Amino acid sequence: MFRKHANAWLLATVSATAIAASATAPALADETCQSPYMAKITGEEEFVYVWTLGMDGVGDGSDKVVTVDVRSGSPTFGQVIDVDSVGGQHEAHHGGLTDDRRHFWVQGLDTSMIWIFDIATDPANPKLVRTIDDFVEKSGGVVGPHGAYALPGRMMISGLSNTDGTGRTGLVEYTNDGEYIATHWMPTAEEPRGAENAAKADGYGYDARVLPRRNVMLTSSFTGLDNYMRPLGEVVNDPEAMKAFGGTMVLWDFHARTPRKVFEVPGVPLEIRWAWGENNNYAFTTTALTSEIWLIHEDENQEWHARKVGEVGDPSKMPLPVDISLSADDSTLFVDSFMDGMTRIYDVTDPFAPKLIHEKKIGAQVNMVSQSWDGERVYYTSSLLANWDKTGADNEQFLKAYDWTGKELVPRFEIDFLAEGLGRPHLMRFGSRDLYGS
Amino acid sequence: MTRNAPLLAALATLLLAAPAIAHDDAANPTHTVTGPADGYAFALAAPGTYSLPRIRPAADALLLDEFGAAHHLARLFRDRITVMAFMYTRCGNICPVAAMRMTDLQALAGEMPEVAGKLQLVSVSFDPAHDTPARMGEYARHLRADDARPPRWLFLTAPDEETIEPVLDAYDQPVMAKANPADPSGPYSHLLRVMLIDDAGQVRNIYSADFLDPRLVLNDVLTLIGGTSPAARTRQGDPRQ
Repeated sequence: MFRKHANAWLLATVSATAIAASATAPALADETCQSPYMAKITGEEEFVYVWTLGMDGVGDGSDKVVTVDVRSGSPTFGQVIDVDSVGGQHEAHHGGLTDDRRHFWVQGLDTSMIWIFDIATDPANPKLVRTIDDFVEKSGGVVGPHGAYALPGRMMISGLSNTDGTGRTGLVEYTNDGEYIATHWMPTAEEPRGAENAAKADGYGYDARVLPRRNVMLTSSFTGLDNYMRPLGEVVNDPEAMKAFGGTMVLWDFHARTPRKVFEVPGVPLEIRWAWGENNNYAFTTTALTSEIWLIHEDENQEWHARKVGEVGDPSKMPLPVDISLSADDSTLFVDSFMDGMTRIYDVTDPFAPKLIHEKKIGAQVNMVSQSWDGERVYYTSSLLANWDKTGADNEQFLKAYDWTGKELVPRFEIDFLAEGLGRPHLMRFGSRDLYGS
Repeated sequence: MTRNAPLLAALATLLLAAPAIAHDDAANPTHTVTGPADGYAFALAAPGTYSLPRIRPAADALLLDEFGAAHHLARLFRDRITVMAFMYTRCGNICPVAAMRMTDLQALAGEMPEVAGKLQLVSVSFDPAHDTPARMGEYARHLRADDARPPRWLFLTAPDEETIEPVLDAYDQPVMAKANPADPSGPYSHLLRVMLIDDAGQVRNIYSADFLDPRLVLNDVLTLIGGTSPAARTRQGDPRQ
C-alpha cells in the first residue's frame, strides 16, 4: 500500500466543509461522471479503457477491454496498446472503477457475468484478476448487472432485470474484491417499502448515483432482458413490449438504503448526473423515448421534485438520447442521441433552462460520452446494444476523441473498431499511472 | 513545540469551531454536535429500521497500545462493538476531522448507558515509524475524555511498516506516500475509511467523511445492539421472501 506518488490525490467525498477546505489539491483532469467517493487524479488522463462488445466475424469475436494510449507526445498516442478478451459475447455494456481506482469492473447484460481487472499494477496493461459467475444466484434473482458505482470499500451494481426476464430489478452490493454483500430491490406499487408516491413505482432500474452530503441516492429505469436482448425494430413495433419500459426515478435514503420518493419521469430516464457544486442540489437525466431533459432538484423548502426542463432535438423523430456528461463546474451538459448520431452541448448555468450552444454529428450512431475533469477533452463511442445498433454501412463502430474549446469540438484522433478487429465499443473509463506512483 | 504541532494546531482549530461539549449530566444528554448529518435531506433513519449486512470479516493483527503492550485485534473485538479508524498523527488533512467526530462520538455514547459499556473506539496508525506508542499516548491525551467513563478509546500502532502493511491490505485501506514528504498536510495521502465492527468480528459499515457523523454512527451501533438478524434482512424488498 505504501507507494511513491507523483501527484497528490484529491480525497474523495470532500463535501464536508472542513474537509473540503483542507483537501490536498484541485483535480485538474478526470472524467466528470464518476462516483464522488472515487480518488481523483491530477494531470491529463493517460489511458482510456473501452469495454467492447464482441462481434461475429470481427477479430476473435469476444467481449474485451481495449486500452487506448491518450498520452500527449506518446509514439502510440491515439492507438490501441492492449486488448484483453474475456471470451464469448455477454452483451458487454457498462462497468466502473472502485473507489481507490485499483480495479475496473465490467459486466455482461446477457449472461450476468462480472470481470474484475487490476489496472493499478500496470495501468497500460490491465489484468483480469477475478470473474464472478454467480451474480444471479447470490443476488437472489437480479439479472443484467449494469452500472458499477464506487462506494467506500464497496461497489454498487444496478441491475436491469430478473430471472423472469422482466424489468423488476434491484441494486446489488459487493466488496471491492468481489464478495457479495446485499441486494436492495427496487420499490413497486405492490411492495412500496415506505416510499412516497409508491403507487407509481414500476420496479425498473438503470443508473444509481449518490449525493453523499445530502445522504440521497437517485435511481432511474430502463427495461428487462426480454426487451434489451431483442432487436430494436421488433420492440418498437410490439405495443406490448413498448409498455414494458420504465417511467420513474426513485430518491433513496442512501444510508438506510430505503426508497423515500418516487418521481414520474415518463419515457425511460437513463443516465443520472448529480451536480458537483456544494450548493447545487440537483441532478440531470434525459428520457430515451420522449427526448427530454429532466431536472431532479430540491426546492427552498427541502422538497424534491422532478421537472422537464428541455427537449433534445426533435422528439417527434425519436433521436433517442442515451448518454450525458455534466462538466465539473456544472455549466455544460453534453447529450448524445443514438439515432441521429448527434452530440448536443447545452449551457446549463441555469439548470432550469438549458440553452443549446453547439451540436455536431459524431457518426451514423453514437452512444457514450466521457469528458476530462477540466472539460477540455471529450471522447465518444458508438455502440448501444448488439441488437439495437444500426446495420449495414450505418453500423459504424468507433472511439473518437475531440478537444472542446468551449465553442466547438476539434478532432484529435479516432479509432475504427471494426477495421481494428475489436467490435462494438461502449463504456469508457480513464486511467493514469500517477494514481499509483512511479 | 511538540512534534505533533501541525496535527494539534489543526485539531485546536476544529475543536474551537465546534460547539462546546458539556459533561455534566449523564442522565440528560447535553452534548450538542454538528456534523454531516445536519446537511442530510431526510432525518436519520431510526435504529433497527434498516439493516447493516455483513461486509467482510475484520482481520486480526498484533498491534501495540500506547504503553507498548501487544494486543490481538480479534480479542479486542470480542463482545464489543468497535468503531475503528486508520489514521496518522502527522496528518493535517482529514484525520483531524475524523478525530473530532470520534471525540464527539465518545462524548455522546458516554451519556448512553445502553451503549457506553458495549462500544469501544480504536484509532490505528499506519505510520509506525513516527507514531510510536509514546506518541500515540500523547495524541490520545489531546483527544480522549478526561474522565474514565466508557466507552473506551484505544490508540494502537505497529512495531514497523512490515507489520501494518498486511493490515491495511486486509482492511482495503489505501495509503500512498506523497512525492513531497514535507507536504504541510502530511507525508501520506489516504482515503478515509472508518469501520463499524460487530461483536462477532464482522465489518458492518464503512464510513467516509460524509457519513462519519456521531449521531449516525450511534444509530448504527444501536441497530447492532438491537440484535437484528442481518442474514434474514440482507435482501431488502426481495419479492421472493
